[in-house]
Amino acid sequence: MKPRVIPLMHKEFIHIIRDPRSLILIFLWPLLMILLYGHAITFDIKEINLGLVDYDRSPQSRELFMRLISSGYFKISAHLENRSQIEEALLDRRVLAAIIIPQGYAKSVATQFKTEVQVIVDGSNANTATVAINYLKTFMISYSLQMNAQVLRPPLQVEPRIWYNPNLSSTNFIVPGLVAVIMMMICALLTSVTIVRERETGTMEQILVSPIRSIEIIIGKITPYVLLALLDAAMVIAFGRFAFSVPFRGSVLLLFVMLIAFVFASLSVGVFISARAKSQQVAMMASMVITMLPSILLSGFIYRISSLPTVLQIISYIVPAKYFLVIIRGIMLKGIGLDYLYQPPLFLLAFGTLLLAISVKRFKTRLEG
Amino acid sequence: MKRIPYILKKEFLQLRRDRALKALLFIMPIFQLLVLGYVVSSEVRNIYTVICDLDNSPASRQIIEAIKNSGYFNLKYFETRESHLPYYLDSGKASVAVVIPQNMSRNLAKNQKTQIQIIVDGQDSNTSTIALGYISGILESFISEKVGQQLANAPEQVDAHLLSPNIRIWYNENLKYSDYMVPGIMVFLLTMVTALISAMGLVREREIGTLEQLLVAPIKKYELIIGKIIPFAIIGMFVLGMALVFAKIWYDIPIVGNLGLFFLFAIVFLFTTLGIGLFVSASTHTQQQAMFMSWFFMLFMLLLSGFMFPIENMPKGVQYLTYLNPLRYFVLVTREILIKGATFEHLYNQGIALAIFGAGIFSFAVIRFQSRMK
Repeated sequence: MKPRVIPLMHKEFIHIIRDPRSLILIFLWPLLMILLYGHAITFDIKEINLGLVDYDRSPQSRELFMRLISSGYFKISAHLENRSQIEEALLDRRVLAAIIIPQGYAKSVATQFKTEVQVIVDGSNANTATVAINYLKTFMISYSLQMNAQVLRPPLQVEPRIWYNPNLSSTNFIVPGLVAVIMMMICALLTSVTIVRERETGTMEQILVSPIRSIEIIIGKITPYVLLALLDAAMVIAFGRFAFSVPFRGSVLLLFVMLIAFVFASLSVGVFISARAKSQQVAMMASMVITMLPSILLSGFIYRISSLPTVLQIISYIVPAKYFLVIIRGIMLKGIGLDYLYQPPLFLLAFGTLLLAISVKRFKTRLEG
Repeated sequence: MKRIPYILKKEFLQLRRDRALKALLFIMPIFQLLVLGYVVSSEVRNIYTVICDLDNSPASRQIIEAIKNSGYFNLKYFETRESHLPYYLDSGKASVAVVIPQNMSRNLAKNQKTQIQIIVDGQDSNTSTIALGYISGILESFISEKVGQQLANAPEQVDAHLLSPNIRIWYNENLKYSDYMVPGIMVFLLTMVTALISAMGLVREREIGTLEQLLVAPIKKYELIIGKIIPFAIIGMFVLGMALVFAKIWYDIPIVGNLGLFFLFAIVFLFTTLGIGLFVSASTHTQQQAMFMSWFFMLFMLLLSGFMFPIENMPKGVQYLTYLNPLRYFVLVTREILIKGATFEHLYNQGIALAIFGAGIFSFAVIRFQSRMK
């Protein structure tokens, strides 16, 4: 069996090397993705653009504005004459929220127990709006407590501690996740398309009539991509480690071993698709639906699995990237070892073996039928 | 010009016979709308939490109850030994731990300061920030309740003046996140169908060799281009309409603004995506290359469009980069028209940008395509 596999691999390597455009993409694309994802995905909202309507025009109202600015969470983007201008400012997207200081604010703050300040928030982006509302509420509470520091003493304090990623850097979260997504994409897309391409151009028949068994064809086809994928992964991890200084707390060797299990699982998805798809177009679309989207959406790469509806949570159990994300984040960020991580690779191996077995069977029936 | 209908007929015939492609074109968008819609607009909830209540008093139980009732936390584990907490976070069983110290209720009675410790798995900065925000909010309202008790128990009239915000939310009173994300998904679908499929369709003919037949046939280059492009434009608009109806029925998204204006913008935007498809098909030899190249464009366009990640949060340099992204303008236009009912006067800047990009990219692609045909 061995000697026949090697020429096949050799042929596949030649195919890869002769297509420099794809080769460049295989190596350049991940780097560009990391560069962009590493920079572009930040969730924390830095400054909220506020519009102000000040009917009071008192030192007290100006004091409130100064406090808002110095809190660091707000930026005054518009001074509005009256409340009818708020709508225009929201529609022009100049401001996200507007604060209306009522007439008699200064007097009320000095004499009344409670003074209300009206705030209007653009709710169209619910996420940003929620954050803006939280910031404003927190600001009002702490400003109130400061104004009354002599009489009010809060008896409880919250002491937050953040583990694994104390600066809450999105990059540390995203970059290891990207390794999983990129691997999945490259492995599944490339393998699925190369096999289908041979079928489309008619060269598959030539291979099939030669005395090679279907398991050998599959091995010969995927081995070059395993090597490419491992190289790619090493490059991406090194880039994340050194260019983005993502911590690497665990064992490099352990990660590498686990990576092989993951590459195996994702390549088997590609083979599985190619055993079915008739054209490259279909193979590509199928790879996208079956691998890319789940790897991005249902793996915990960006969106937490436990926040999703139950049906999607159940589907996430058959997404290989989900398991690898646990592995790579565990090793890189948490620095945990095999005692916590023995389950995910077992699943990946079982998953890959099952898919390959089905595909080999499918190839055989195609050959005979 | 008379020959264009024949090319159109051929294209639609080809499409009709490709069952798999048909299914992918018309079923996939709905499928994506379903999955993407739920995933992308999912709020942070069901946060697995371990509670370490060392006080075990009515006050501590009151706090735990409040955390539980907030609906965001899933109090899965209760641990009595503080030293065991790392196990829960290391193994990923819980992502938040709350430690209530031993003498909290005694300190509260004596009005002494007590610290409640919250440990958060910080890997996912977004979830951690939100989880911390929720839990601090819960504790803060507990604190202000205690402060209120202080005031009530104060011997003489205490002179306190509090500020409180009276918050009103416009455009999306219930803060439904899907109202914001689903229109973005529609834009994504339109971009994908028109750019990707048109790129693949043309290269496919070249790969199989039927493009030569078309070229030697007595049709002009521009007729070929128009005949090739129009079906994808029609399919794109159809998919967009279908997605809009589906989004309205399933997600009940608001359609406040003028739909005619929205479709007008969509047509202008199509020049960009079809231009990209044409450009890719003119610059590649195989479907695999075409696929990679379109994905390459799409990924950057998507990422920098503000569809999933707000542009305001990106670093300044990247923010400037987004101005070069036509998708950015169309995502904004779609949201503003559908959710806020913005009119042309609020959006003409976006319109101008889209028109310039459309004209530029499309004519560049046509020139490139024609020179490649010689």
